Parts: sequence; C-alpha cells; structure tokens
Amino acid sequence: MPSFDAVNYSLRPSKSIQRQIVFEGVRILQDTMDLQRLAYIGMGSIWFTDFVMAHKILGVEDMVSIECNEIGFRRARFNSPFITVRVREGLSSAVLPTLYVDEFYANRPWMIWLDYDYELNESIKLDIRSVVENSPGNSIFLVTFDGKDSRYDEAPQRPQLLRSLLGSVVPDELSKEECEGEQMRETLANLVIQFMGSIAADMARPGGFVPAFRAIYQDGPPMVTVGGILPVRGDEESAKSTVGAANWPCRPPRPIKAPNLTIREAAVLQSQLPCPRKLSREDVQALGFDLEEEQIEAFQSYYRQYPAFAQIIA
Amino acid sequence: MTIEAGMKAHAYPTKEFFVKMITRDLTLSDCILDLIDNSVDGAWKSAVGGPTELKQDDSLSKYLISISITPKGFIIEDNCGGMTLDDAVNYAFSFGKPEEYKRDPYSIGAYGIGMKRAIFKLGTNIRIHSTYLTSNGVRESFAVPINVNDWLSTNEPPWDFDIVTDVHLRENGVRIQIDALTPEADGLFGSEAFHQDLRRIIARDYSLYLERGLKISLNDSPITGLQIALRESAEFAPMRFAYKDRTDGNEVGVEIIGGMAALPPPPEATEPEDLAERSRGAELFGWYVVCNGRIVLAADRTVSTGWGTDDWPIWHPQYAGFIGVILFSARNAVALPLTTTKRSIDDSSEVFRRARPRMRELTRKWIDYTNLRKQALEDARQKEQQAHPVPIYSVSLRPSVQLPELIARDSEPVANVQYSVPLTRMRNLARKFGSANLPYREVGLRSFNYAYREKVGEE
Repeated sequence: MPSFDAVNYSLRPSKSIQRQIVFEGVRILQDTMDLQRLAYIGMGSIWFTDFVMAHKILGVEDMVSIECNEIGFRRARFNSPFITVRVREGLSSAVLPTLYVDEFYANRPWMIWLDYDYELNESIKLDIRSVVENSPGNSIFLVTFDGKDSRYDEAPQRPQLLRSLLGSVVPDELSKEECEGEQMRETLANLVIQFMGSIAADMARPGGFVPAFRAIYQDGPPMVTVGGILPVRGDEESAKSTVGAANWPCRPPRPIKAPNLTIREAAVLQSQLPCPRKLSREDVQALGFDLEEEQIEAFQSYYRQYPAFAQIIA
Repeated sequence: MTIEAGMKAHAYPTKEFFVKMITRDLTLSDCILDLIDNSVDGAWKSAVGGPTELKQDDSLSKYLISISITPKGFIIEDNCGGMTLDDAVNYAFSFGKPEEYKRDPYSIGAYGIGMKRAIFKLGTNIRIHSTYLTSNGVRESFAVPINVNDWLSTNEPPWDFDIVTDVHLRENGVRIQIDALTPEADGLFGSEAFHQDLRRIIARDYSLYLERGLKISLNDSPITGLQIALRESAEFAPMRFAYKDRTDGNEVGVEIIGGMAALPPPPEATEPEDLAERSRGAELFGWYVVCNGRIVLAADRTVSTGWGTDDWPIWHPQYAGFIGVILFSARNAVALPLTTTKRSIDDSSEVFRRARPRMRELTRKWIDYTNLRKQALEDARQKEQQAHPVPIYSVSLRPSVQLPELIARDSEPVANVQYSVPLTRMRNLARKFGSANLPYREVGLRSFNYAYREKVGEE
C-alpha cells in the first residue's frame, strides 16, 4: 500500500518538527551561500507539505515532485499546491538522471530531499550515490529512511548487511549491539553521512561534502534524516562555519518524539514558555492535566516548531 | 655521531638510480612506446596540432616513424621536425623538466624522463642524432653519443653528455641508434612473438594518430591502426558526451563515447554458440583511456577503470560486447591522468575521479542490458544483427547510451534446495500439514512458504 494511503501526513508532530528544523537551517544557509534560483526536488506525495514550506519559508519557486505510483501521480498532479510544481512519474532512479541533464535544473542549486518511508536499501543507496555525484554545486541534499532495527535482518547479521550496502565506510569492528534499538538509528545516521562524504571525496567533487543534517524522529516507526551541503569550490569554509555554529538547528542531540497534544493542551503549555528552567510533571499537573516527563521535555524543546492542527469540517 | 647545529641530511641523486632503478618500472615495449611518443609529439608540434580531437583526417600524413628491431640493435627514425640544439642543451637530457620549461601544447610527454629511461633500458651504446630547421630557416644537425658505462663511472657534477656535429639526416627529424643492447633487450629482440605483440600494441595505442595519417613501420612493414567502432541502429545508439574540467589551473577536455562494440568480421568457420561469437572480440571489450590522443589503457576490465569498485561489479564474460572510450585532452600534459610509464592511469587524478561516475553510469546500462539479454536472447541477437558499425569518430553526440528494451521471458531465477532431515521429523511435519503421506517435496515447499510468510510477509 502506498504510504499516502496509510498515513495522514498532516498528523505527525515529530515529522512536522523535523521539517521545520530543516527548513529553518536552509533559511540560515540562504544568508551565507549563493542559493539564488534554488530549486526544490522532493517526494511530495499528495500532501506537498515540504513543497509548501520550501515556497513559503525559502521562496523557492521551481519544484519537482517525484512520484512512482500511477494513481499517486494523478492525485499528486491534482493536489499540486503551486503552478511551479512539476510532478514527474517514475522511480527516483529513473527521474533523477533526467534532471541532471535538464538545462532548466542543471545549472542552479537544488534542495533535494529524498523522503522514503522504508528502510535503507540498495536502491536508496544508489540514489544517494547518484545525487552526490551529479547534483549541481551548492546543492543541499537530505535523505530520510526508516531506522527501525528489525527492518534490517536479525541483529547478528546487521553489521554484514550494512557492510554489503555501504561498503568501506562500515568499520570492521561494528558490533551487533551498535545495530540494535536506538543505537541502530545512530549507527545508520553516522554511516550514511560518512558514505555521502566518501562518495564526494572519491569522485573529487569540487567543494566536497559538508555534513549538516542529522535528525532522528518518531511518530510511528523511528525515522532517520541525514544530509549535507555540496558546496561549489571556494564555499566549503563558509558552509562549514555556518553548520558548525552554535545556533545551527539541524543536528538535534536527541531523537524527536513529540507528544500528541490537543490544541488546548498545546496552547496552555505554550503559555508557560519560554521558560529558563525545565518544566516538570508537577508544573503540568498544576495546569490541570498530565504528561510524562519525556513528553514535557520534547514539547519544551520544540514548542516553536510544534504544529497547530485542527480538524476542518468541509 | 651527534646532532650539531646546521646539520643536514644529504639528498643527492646518483646516476645509477636513473639507469638501473627507475628503468625497472617499465617493459621493453614501454620503452619503445616512450620513444614513439617523442616522435609523435614532434609530428604534432610540426603540424601545429591543437586539442587532440577524435576525427579522421590527413593532418599527420607527412610524418613517418620507422622502427628497426633486431638482436643486433635498435633504431628509431622519424621525419617529425627534429630536436633543436637549444632543447638538447637545456632540456631534453635533463632528468625531469625545470619550472621554466615551456611544454609543447597537447603533447604526451609530461615528466621529462621517458626518453632517458627508455634508452638506458635498451642499451649502453647510444647515439641520438637530430636534424632541424633553425628559426632563420637553416638546416642544422648534431648528435649526442652516450656510452652509458663511461657516464656511470662518476657521480661528480656536472652531469652532462657531449654534443657533436653530425651530417644531415635525409629529412628533418630524430634518429636514435642503440648498438650494445642490454641483456633483456638482446634476449627479447630476437623473439618473433615480441615483434608481433609490439606491432599489436602500436596498432592499438596509436590508432587515433594513425587515423589522422601518421605512418609507423616496424622492420619496414607498415602498421595499420586498430579500428574501434560501435554499433548503431534505431534501437542501439552509442553515447557521446563532452565537457570541460579543470585541475591546478589547467583546462582538460573530457569526452566519453561508448556502447555496443562492433565485433571483428566473423571467421570462416561459423561458430554457433552465442558465447563463442561474442568472445571473438573479447580482447577488444572494456574501457579505453586516451590522453592527448595516446591510448594509455586499452580494453581495460580492472579496477583501474572502475570494475570491481563500489557499486560497479567486477568484469564478467556476460558483459562482453561493451566498449567505452574516455578521452582527456589538455594543453599542459601534466593535467592528464597519466602515469610516468603511460601504460596506466593515475587513478588519484581529480579529473579522472570526476569522470568515473559517468563511466560507471554507461557501464551500468550495458550490464543491465546484458542481464535482460540472457532472458530474451533471440530477440536481442536479432536486434544486435540489425545494428551497423560506426567508427567512434563518427558517433553523434548523445548524453546517454540507448539500448533496446527487451521483453524478458517469464523466468525469474530460481534456487533449488536440497537437504536431509530425520524421517520421523519429516512425517511429523507432514502430518501437521494435513497428511503424513504428503510428498517430501510438498512438505518442503509448504514449510518454506510458511516460514516466508512469518519472516518476510505476504507478497
């Protein structure tokens, strides 16, 4: 079943927070890098949430959404939010090479976000290689995939599975323990970032690869988003300094696990923020309801990005 | 010994290093090719050749390189313009090229070591004789006689060779004669196999120059260049894509051409097997790397051109039929991905590493085609036969290769499973599947399907 039939994309607070963080980061990059005429390339599904953000936050006009499902393609075209969004039907492995040689896209930077809803596999790996090797200078590249450990064979086989997927970047001493539970997500994030860097180095990409994005989030299955900047030669240092600054938002230290709150709960909690000290369970109880400490901490960390959802009666 | 102020570690070269050590990195054929390279550079300079484009013309048709190899000695003579006295005095016999040296544009010689290393490897009594036209239009001649053993007798500077006057050669050019062959050269120069192999190597590695009219003869017999051709039809179209790159301030032109090779004409006897038919041209298949017109790697199927590296399978006979050619062209030869032996590539070169993904993409498409081909062999052979050969210099520009879309027979590869289990356990399991008398094969299939549903899920 295509994921757009399974998931209402607008009701996932952690994903929404993660998107906000990423677009905030790229907004910062717009001040320090030449991202004029940025094009957005993604997998907009039928919801196009990231496309709307790319347009509204970054001012991006030209956008391409890749859709491999036949019905999904028609629905995507129907739901396209702006006239400048082009929906291309086909697998990313088939559509991407056409964009590399399309003069309209080939000579301008891209923000490309390959947002898969399944686990890292051979075809995702080949897409990653293809984008690092072929995307234009000053492109920003993100990839999202499922990080649930059980998607990757049995635990003892996981180090070998990762080795066969990602090759030399996987250390010989990678242990079974590093491929279990939350540690598996950390391992996947680190290795895929290193994989991107080594592709850029192997092909002597001018400007190389600057790691910039690393977020793990969970609404349903835990997801991993990683990526970086593929600067033109000469812009590497500026890119490194931007993403190395203390205010760079795109490497949250802990997985984003936002609580599902009612509008009223979110509004009441928000009215207590910003607050220099950590809110406690007692604080929330004093407000008239209750949450777990972990949920309170997540909300306090990301209340600025927390989505405000409401049911619309059509 | 104790450390004292101002103490230095000596770093002086020795003549023996140049005569006996760095000559080990190359074969006798490589030496001869190095000397041919010098002649080709002379011809290219005399013809005022620009970037080494891929085309067929007669721009080098006035130039001839004659090579004579016998157990008694070696001679290479050309009419490619000759070496000037200034070049001989200041550059040609130095080891390495000084900073101020102005390299000939689009030459193959890059490092300033080829000729010296080659003559030292071939023999010990050498005479380099040149006739050239001065800037005033006057013909002048000189010779540099080298007795290697005498030269080796002292390491004291200055290191130099005598220059003497000599008669004019018949045409302006260079003649190198080597009389006292080294034991390695003496042994191999009498071998007919060596002569034939050398002829094949020259025909292949200088084919792009031979295509432009250059003449090379070995023991008075002219050498015909290897014809590289790709097949074209409504369904087959080779890729031809060019772009500019830069390294260390030097521009490098890169061109990639590739697709299905045109096999050599069929032999008299018909070989019915497809594999046999395809293996006829096996020695031609693979990647060719060309630097300023010189083929430095031919029909390569090794890691040098990417086979067997990340996301690029090692060569397999199934991939027979593929030819890819990548041409690098640079005004400054130092920018080329050349090794000093010119028989391989410097795979750490940025220009080469940046080109490799495009090479892989082309190769990948051919591999995918051969995977499908196995399952639609008749259809594929029919389509392949309809394609006609086109010389690589006539291939049209096209950003990616076009290959036929074959419809595979419905024959997903299968795995056969065979194992032994205790009979009682087999019957117990068969009973659980409904009948103790189920055939073992059926029990095996049902248990596989059961495990598949549990572990993998429904399809």
